[in-house]
Amino acid sequence: MKRLIHIELLKIKSNASFWILVSLHIGIILLVVLSGKVFLHSLSINGENISNMVDPDSIPLYQFPDIWHNITYVASFLKFILAIYMIISITSEISYDTLRQNIMNGMSRTDFIISKLFLIVWLALGSALFIFFTGLIIGIISTPDLQFHDMIKYSGFIPAYFLQLTAYLIFALLIGLLIKKTGLAMGLLFLYTLIVEPIIVFRVKTDWIKGLFPNRAINNLIHMPFGKYALREVQDYVAFKEVIIVLVYMALFIYCIYLLLKKRDL
Amino acid sequence: MNNVVTTHGLTKHYGRIRAVNDLTLDIPEKSVFGILGPNGSGKTTTLGMLLDVINPTSGTYSWFGNFSKKENRQKIGSILETPSFYPYLSALDNLKIIAEIKGIGYENIGEVLKITGLYDRRFSSFRTYSLGMKQRLALASALLCDPLVMILDEPTNGLDPRGIAEIRELIRKIAGQGKTIILASHLLDEVQKVCTHFAVLNKGRLMYSGLVNETHHDELQLEISSDKNSELFTLLKTFPDIKKVEISGEMLVITLPGSYAISDLSRFVFENGFVITHLVAMKKSLESQFLEILNEKA
Ligand SMILES: Nc1ncnc2c1ncn2[C@@H]1O[C@H](COP(=O)(O)OP(=O)(O)OP(=O)(O)O)[C@@H](O)[C@H]1O
Ligand SMILES: [Mg+2]
Repeated sequence: MKRLIHIELLKIKSNASFWILVSLHIGIILLVVLSGKVFLHSLSINGENISNMVDPDSIPLYQFPDIWHNITYVASFLKFILAIYMIISITSEISYDTLRQNIMNGMSRTDFIISKLFLIVWLALGSALFIFFTGLIIGIISTPDLQFHDMIKYSGFIPAYFLQLTAYLIFALLIGLLIKKTGLAMGLLFLYTLIVEPIIVFRVKTDWIKGLFPNRAINNLIHMPFGKYALREVQDYVAFKEVIIVLVYMALFIYCIYLLLKKRDL
Repeated sequence: MNNVVTTHGLTKHYGRIRAVNDLTLDIPEKSVFGILGPNGSGKTTTLGMLLDVINPTSGTYSWFGNFSKKENRQKIGSILETPSFYPYLSALDNLKIIAEIKGIGYENIGEVLKITGLYDRRFSSFRTYSLGMKQRLALASALLCDPLVMILDEPTNGLDPRGIAEIRELIRKIAGQGKTIILASHLLDEVQKVCTHFAVLNKGRLMYSGLVNETHHDELQLEISSDKNSELFTLLKTFPDIKKVEISGEMLVITLPGSYAISDLSRFVFENGFVITHLVAMKKSLESQFLEILNEKA
């Protein structure tokens, strides 16, 4: 196990695309979160019905406990940057034949999958911790009346974010392994995530069936929070049932990855 | 003698192409085993199956009597066709990854880099290496774990003459340490110089498997022909130093000890009343044997 972790560390240590994409991920999250003020401001201009009911400046976007739900929801849009890295990581192992070489040198296929899952968990954990500390600092700065129970209320969205990112990165790993070509794999991942599945989901009428599609299921871990500022009802908790669906998908993806790698000539 | 690897009916089909067809082969311990065959005869495919990167269509193989466990591969140093490394990593980091995979420490890395002449360039990324340097790094990686078995598929590909000679020396040295080496190559000369055993594949089938010593380089092969070949054949059979005489088409092929003076033979033939019309010393007996094997069974 320790060796597998060390192998992945050696691989990323001087890998330019890793550092670029991770910096991009962090940078854009910071940018988006901090420019939320602008978003808030634009709400007060455009959203007439909102401004009639509430004063935008008093919307507690950045305050405990709302910050946890809001920041994880926003950050979840940026999981695609890490997914790009995952695809590069796996497709380059294929195109440079290093996957084959690793097996020849004495890795088992299962070891290889485990080492990539380590990478995924590290990325997701790193990102979740980053979100946690960012949220904590912003929350402390923005909340006028700090209460401990407010600080921890909704903080369950951090593990939900971790789970969401992990599941999506495993999905990206599967697509990369399936398609093999970097550009094509990225294209298909986005085509599916942004267009194909949303169209299918849109045409499905029943809500619970919508929630069974993989990307929708992954996204459902953190429902859109902002409606509540327009006094609409939102799901402000992580639903157990939805966690189970995602866990099932993760197991399914990993099983497919295993089958693919086992059946394929390298 | 024990076998390091045995295969039984190993077969790989790619659609209608039979890349390897019902291959049953034993590779004895401590041998330097050459696998010969024309392009596309299934050498790389065979080695790929033995290294668990190509799934056989049918058949089995077993390393050290232990089947295909990853622990077996950890004790094998291998190069399959082109050197494969992480291009953005230095030679040093690439070898560290391999050491981790093989479950060994880093202490051999410096030495194998020195043996292969890459020590001065160990911090350069693999991407910046020349073809020959890449091949040398592949060799370094195969040597890294002090392997029980080395599998070398075209190890001299892209090397300069000195590099080829160095690899030959290296193979001899490693073989001298009681290791087994499996070598796939087109360079018959190389195989003949270093191998103890060889097998010939053609179109995925095993054509021959045996010792090299029948065609050892301290033997001399001559092609000879005269006005009366059949009588000459009977005469040569009585010539004391000749190890073997064979009729090959219009020619007689005779095998003599390497130290033998050709003039003595020609005088003997002449004194017995024959007129020699053709006399050629054949250098590469393995090559002729190889071509014979391919022609016989084609
Ligand atoms: N991935 C593949 N898909 C289809 N056919 C393949 C594949 N790999 C190899 N083959 C075919 O299998 C046969 C054996 O190929 P292999 O690479 O084992 O030959 P080789 O003996 O190593 O040849 P060379 O001396 O050129 O290296 C060839 O006919 C080749 O076209
Ligand atoms: Mg080959």
